[in-house]
Amino acid sequence: MFGKWRRQVRNWLANKMELPADILMDLPRITMIGQIHIYIENHRGLLSFSDKEIRLLLKQGQLLVKGEAFVIKTILPEEILLEGKISQVLYLDE
Amino acid sequence: MKNQWLSYFSGSVKVKLSGKGIERLINACLRNDIFIWKVKKHDEYTASFYMLLKDVSKVRLLVRKSECKLYFIDRSGMPFLIKKTLLNSGFFIGTFLFLLLIFLLSNMVWNIQVRGAKPETEYLILKELKKMGIERGAFQFMIDDPEAIQKKLTDHIEAITWVGVELKGTTFYFQVVEKNQPKPEKKMGVRHLVAKKKAVITNMFVEEGQPLVSVNDYVSKGQILVSGFIGKEGQTKTVPARGKIFGETWYKSTVVLPLQSTFHVFTGKYYEKHYLSFKNISLPVWGWKKPAFSHYEIEQQKKPFHFWRWKLPLFYERVIYREKEKVERNYSWEEAFQKAREIARKELLSRLEDDASIKGEKILHQAKENGKVRLEMHYQVIENIGTPQPIIQGD
Repeated sequence: MFGKWRRQVRNWLANKMELPADILMDLPRITMIGQIHIYIENHRGLLSFSDKEIRLLLKQGQLLVKGEAFVIKTILPEEILLEGKISQVLYLDE
Repeated sequence: MKNQWLSYFSGSVKVKLSGKGIERLINACLRNDIFIWKVKKHDEYTASFYMLLKDVSKVRLLVRKSECKLYFIDRSGMPFLIKKTLLNSGFFIGTFLFLLLIFLLSNMVWNIQVRGAKPETEYLILKELKKMGIERGAFQFMIDDPEAIQKKLTDHIEAITWVGVELKGTTFYFQVVEKNQPKPEKKMGVRHLVAKKKAVITNMFVEEGQPLVSVNDYVSKGQILVSGFIGKEGQTKTVPARGKIFGETWYKSTVVLPLQSTFHVFTGKYYEKHYLSFKNISLPVWGWKKPAFSHYEIEQQKKPFHFWRWKLPLFYERVIYREKEKVERNYSWEEAFQKAREIARKELLSRLEDDASIKGEKILHQAKENGKVRLEMHYQVIENIGTPQPIIQGD
């Protein structure tokens, strides 16, 4: 009940005060450079990884990236830079 | 994101993981602040990535808890490079020693060649050189330069008139000109002996020729003393007149000597500084102190180093500070006169030939004038006054 109310307040703040939504609402910020790089901030850990797909845990739900020849260039507790040929970025809700 | 090139200095390793739960292990690494990069999955159960050398022990702990096995594949960065270099250091040391050896050998004296000398003179020269430290195996920068060697050799060895010293690479060449001690007597042309200057004859010793004057005669300059014509009139023949005619001659000399004079003398103390210099840059090798002398003269010696047969632009420089001392000399009037007389006498003797002698001296005039003494001396000298004058014969 209380959590829902807080989310609504944050949403309202993000809309009305033009504050970045990723900070207020703990959403991932995804930067892609063409097909070759994808940079994901605010993830919550690595779920599975192969050279064809990567599955990341988010605050809410999961992120699935599909493609070919994946290499994790850098991985830090909340950031990840992925290199390869990206074809799909999917959000999965439980 | 961290700068990856910094990992070059701390060193990094490439590892391979195989087993189940690789993702879990990577997450564990992230939680433990272990920086990893270039993660690649080869198949479902193997992955490879890079990590810092300092994190290896932490990762080992985590691996033990997981179901994976860890293999080290590659290592890169400074720590490994240094290790490798240390292993190969023998090679570098060898190269360095070789260059050093060539360098040292290039700066040695390897050969001494003496030309134009008799065996005994050559032996003398070699002995003298040995005394100076010049022998096979001596270092070139420890010995004198060729000019100094030349001077020493000509000074110390009587038998040689001149010696040419040349240093070519590692070989010393000595070109010796020996004195021909008993000179073959030159054939003299016919001549008279005439008087060099006006004199009173005191002694005559005629070897050849017809004497025209006798003892106690007063002769003037140019007068024939011993004639080259001998024999009776009508049957004369010409000979080279030889002999010694001693006559009393007179000299006057004036000496002016100040009572007080200052001059600089070397005390014999010196201080050496050694430098290695390259172009204009001098690197002190030995002697960093300032010389403790207030007055000194600086002497510089510069010698190039050799490598193989080339002169390097590298010099060995020796700077010698010689202490000087200011000496003040004060004479009393009597001393000054005494000294002036000595000086006058010495001066005269140096002008005269060896067989001349001073018979008597007289002070003509002596005066004291503002801080100086002025002395005029008159000398009676017995000397050989004969000088040859060739007879030019008409046809």
